[in-house]
Amino acid sequence: MKKTSTRSPLLNIAWVHLISKKRQTIVAMLGVMFGVTVFIFQAGLLTGLQSYFIEKTVNTTAHVHIYNDVRVARPNVLDLESDTAGTWTMVRNQKPRDEERRLRNGYQILREIERDARVEGVAPYLGLQGILRYGMSQQAGTLAGIDVQREDQLFHVADNLIAGELVRMETLPNAVILGSGLAEKLGARLNDNITVISSRGVSLDMKVVGISKTGITLQDNTRAYISIRNAQRLLQQSAAYITDINVRLREVDIAQSIATEYQNVFGYKAEDWKAANANVFGIFRIQNLTVSFVIISILVVSGFGIFNILMTIIYEKMPDIAILKAMGYRDRDIRRVFLIESIAIGTTGGLLGLLLGFITSKIVGMIPLNIQGFVSVQYLIINFNPLFYLAAFGFALVSTTVAGYFPARKAARFDPVEIIRSR
Amino acid sequence: MGSPIITATHVTKTFTEPVEFKVLNDISLTVDRGEFVVLVGPSGSGKTTLMYTLSTLDTEYDGTISIDGVDIRGLGKDAVADFRNSMIGFVFQFHYLLPDFTVLQNVMLPAQRRGILSAEEMEDRAMKTLSMLGVADQATKKSSKLSGGQQQRVAIARALINEPKIIFGDEPTGNLDTKNTGLVLDILNELKAEFNQTILMVTHDVQFARRADRIISIRDGRIVDNEEHYSPSSH
Ligand SMILES: Nc1ncnc2c1ncn2[C@@H]1O[C@H](COP(=O)(O)OP(=O)(O)O)[C@@H](O)[C@H]1O
Ligand SMILES: [Mg+2]
Repeated sequence: MKKTSTRSPLLNIAWVHLISKKRQTIVAMLGVMFGVTVFIFQAGLLTGLQSYFIEKTVNTTAHVHIYNDVRVARPNVLDLESDTAGTWTMVRNQKPRDEERRLRNGYQILREIERDARVEGVAPYLGLQGILRYGMSQQAGTLAGIDVQREDQLFHVADNLIAGELVRMETLPNAVILGSGLAEKLGARLNDNITVISSRGVSLDMKVVGISKTGITLQDNTRAYISIRNAQRLLQQSAAYITDINVRLREVDIAQSIATEYQNVFGYKAEDWKAANANVFGIFRIQNLTVSFVIISILVVSGFGIFNILMTIIYEKMPDIAILKAMGYRDRDIRRVFLIESIAIGTTGGLLGLLLGFITSKIVGMIPLNIQGFVSVQYLIINFNPLFYLAAFGFALVSTTVAGYFPARKAARFDPVEIIRSR
Repeated sequence: MGSPIITATHVTKTFTEPVEFKVLNDISLTVDRGEFVVLVGPSGSGKTTLMYTLSTLDTEYDGTISIDGVDIRGLGKDAVADFRNSMIGFVFQFHYLLPDFTVLQNVMLPAQRRGILSAEEMEDRAMKTLSMLGVADQATKKSSKLSGGQQQRVAIARALINEPKIIFGDEPTGNLDTKNTGLVLDILNELKAEFNQTILMVTHDVQFARRADRIISIRDGRIVDNEEHYSPSSH
């Protein structure tokens, strides 16, 4: 008896209301729990995959990529000759020049960038599209001409090898490393001899000295590493011919400003890794938006659940509210009773949701899956960032409080005279 | 005679729905401390409405009502609630006990709102009041498990817990059988005799009216008779 009397009457009333409506209370609580669980699981899954992709990208692509942007239309050649303002010139069928992709003084630029203290490493690149042929099978692919040592320093090529050795790229004159998907499609294995053909019609016989798997599906399915010298031979170009310079920075975050700087200094297009992957980041944004929408919808629905149970309670307990007011309980006391009820549902549902969200994430993270998407992973990568847990709980509390506020206010405004008279 | 505790002057109340009509028409009255006043009149004459205005539950009227020297309409909403909590006890036709609460919890609700007693003192006083009303043995039962007569006695205990200056009743025996009606009447008489409790009751019951110090009769919202009444408890 002592125990019940020391408890605040408002808490007591709220408690009694909730247990007198056990089933509805539990349903409302489950609604909140479900919302929070979905929040945590979805946010963890999505950002887990996204940050995995970003991490992969940061590790496997250039932070700043310098190249000659052939999309830039060539200025009218006659305009370059005549400087008379009033003259009108026109040149039809002015084709892009063949050497347009080339970086003039490419190696000079490379050495200059190498001296930059913010730069961790820099590598030349000469890429071309070509055909890879192994017996009767034939695949189009990207032939990535690289400086093996520099490329390895930048992108840890050796770490991604699932077969073979990187040194043989340097010891053998005609060596190729195939992306795992490409090798599979081609049917070629380590030490097989394949033929590589360029669009210029040059063909080279090459030995497969390695199979590489980065986890980025597109790269693994299409890329083959060859030496930059062989790439130049396939394009019938001199030893100074390169088309791209890849730069790795000590700090990824400053990539954008450095890209701008290089573009101004060297006069070639310099793109940071975020701009290079703009399409992917765009997809991320859409994904995030979609998931946010789903989460918000669920929380709104669970809010309606709470609204519903509270409306049921206040109409059923109208005589109680009337007599409490008659005995001197203030409007705000009544409001508090119902706010306590909605917050209790929100808090319990929220905490259960946090737990279930965590457990679901853990379990799903342990199921082996072989997913081939943007990135290929064996397990779903789930982000357990505590901020999600905080945000999910916060959202749950806010939505339940808002949902509870209106019934609570309604109850507080009931006129006891009307209620008692209508009996 | 004692000093007035309730003073109503020119109280007029008009309902506009469904048609405009004066439910209280220029009512002036006083109730003295320790007086047992009964309000009678035909159904629809405005007894309940008058009781609500006199007891601060209804503050929408013209004229003035003051209780214990305080003009009720001069108070804010919260202040009226606090005033009612400490000064006024109610007994309605129905008991209005919270059904899922125990008898003891129900009785303590006004005291908990007031918050001047410790938990032990509250419980102590609640138990004393319950035993005065002969229902102490029901204290730990849920109020919904009691008989109608017991429930109404618990409701009276709840009305008394804060030692209010005035008890208002609206046909408190209207729902009880003869035996329980007699019991409730005895209790109210005892309160009057022993504690000099001020009581204002609306009733149809002749038995009730006979025990009052004064009977106020109203008809069509006006006082038609306001007579001193001989009863054994008035000296
Ligand atoms: N909220 C209201 N709106 C309109 N008329 C009302 C309202 N409440 C009561 N009445 C009317 O006022 C009159 C007096 O009611 P009431 O005070 O309950 O009378 P009594 O208690 O004497 O039977 C009745 O005719 C009743 O119908
Ligand atoms: Mg009435």
